[in-house]
Amino acid sequence: MIACRDITFRYPGAEAPLFDGLDVTIDKPGFHALFGPSGVGKTTLAKIISGDIDNFTGQVEAIGGMRCLYTYNRERLPGWSSVGRHLEKTTPPGRQLLRDEFINHFGLAKLMGMRYSQLSMGQCNRVNLLRYLLQDFSILIMDESLANVDEPTRQTILYKIKSIFPKAGFLYISHNVVEVARFCDQIVVFRGAHQSPQTCRINGQDHREDRPLDKTALERSMLEIMHAA
Amino acid sequence: MLHRRVFQFFIVYLLGIGLLFGIKLALNLSDYVIPGPTGVWHTGQAEFSRYMGDVLDTFAVAVIGQVLSILMALGVGVAGRRATWFGSFIKVAAYNVQAYPIVAIAPILFILLGDGFLTRLFIAAMICYFPLLLSVIGIMSEPVVDIEHFYRVTGRLRWQLEVKIRAFENLHKLTTVISGSATLAMAGTIVAEFIAANAGIGYSIRIALYQSDLSKILVALFIIGITLSLYQGILELLGAGLKKAWAAG
Repeated sequence: MIACRDITFRYPGAEAPLFDGLDVTIDKPGFHALFGPSGVGKTTLAKIISGDIDNFTGQVEAIGGMRCLYTYNRERLPGWSSVGRHLEKTTPPGRQLLRDEFINHFGLAKLMGMRYSQLSMGQCNRVNLLRYLLQDFSILIMDESLANVDEPTRQTILYKIKSIFPKAGFLYISHNVVEVARFCDQIVVFRGAHQSPQTCRINGQDHREDRPLDKTALERSMLEIMHAA
Repeated sequence: MLHRRVFQFFIVYLLGIGLLFGIKLALNLSDYVIPGPTGVWHTGQAEFSRYMGDVLDTFAVAVIGQVLSILMALGVGVAGRRATWFGSFIKVAAYNVQAYPIVAIAPILFILLGDGFLTRLFIAAMICYFPLLLSVIGIMSEPVVDIEHFYRVTGRLRWQLEVKIRAFENLHKLTTVISGSATLAMAGTIVAEFIAANAGIGYSIRIALYQSDLSKILVALFIIGITLSLYQGILELLGAGLKKAWAAG
């Protein structure tokens, strides 16, 4: 699904490269995660995969036929129209029913007449993620896209995404180890620029709404993630 | 907004005129050098209507010049916002031309175009055009990444949308710059009239200067100031109204 080979990247002015021959592979569609402490390069790798950063060496292959989109939690909607009007204008033809379904599941129905600036941070995050989910993509990178959303709503949203997009690839960037271990299939743990290898891959529980959760396996995944980091 | 502008002008004007009267008293100067309050009042009564007509004449030229400058600055600023060779050329040219005192080339314009309306308009427009252009280029070439990202990655970011986003996000800056440029346009017109024109308040001030009549100059300054304060206040109100209407959809 995503193969990054021998990626080397240094920010202009930085003393040392952030990535030095980094290899990361996600071999199947599904809900996966990039995990690690702040500053290790999760967002940078996400931008390299999505094409937002192109001054790196190495190879990136993102398979799926459609584009790879990157969304992050500080994005804003223009202030000149309501949230509902904006979503109407940015929904591709034929996706109106999907949009309405998402609006209900994301708990946004009452906010459609409001301006983006009137929303809480969690509501902003949900609206922003919703408009990306309506676009054409084969891989969607969600950089702390649900950072300010309460846990039950976050859970509902993640279950919904997994059920609606079984063939798409998601890369979820989060600092919440429980959430990542529970909902994600493959977790790429970043270990910092000075450690070798720079990343390692842990299997998560990939939990879905219709499956029971194995709490022991979840704890094991969490321990593995923490040990790897 | 409007009353604050006018109030601020009154304070500045009264402080200025108070300082003059203070100097007159302190140095025991004659009315010929600095006229007394009664002299200024009588001159005001005698000349107000004529000077008001002159100020409105100057003001009309300044407003037309300012509107032309705004349109040109928006057009060129939008075209030059990109990091292309054309954008870079526009920016460098604007910075360099802006560094040159435009008023210094006014005599050339008077020689070439005569001392009529067109020359005054041209000088007014040129004096407020370059500062406006620099501000518009600065605003338009600065991406609003957090809003534009979605449109860019989904292939929806046309130039019209890009300009709309940047204008909306910087509307307060734009209205402040436009409001400020009113002073430049008015100053440009008065300077043009002062140099060589045959109409407007600048022309009347030139005549008052030749007569060494400070009362007339103080009356002219009062009418210029009050007109400009009202105009700037109205521009600011329009800007605030525009933002409110735009944000309300």
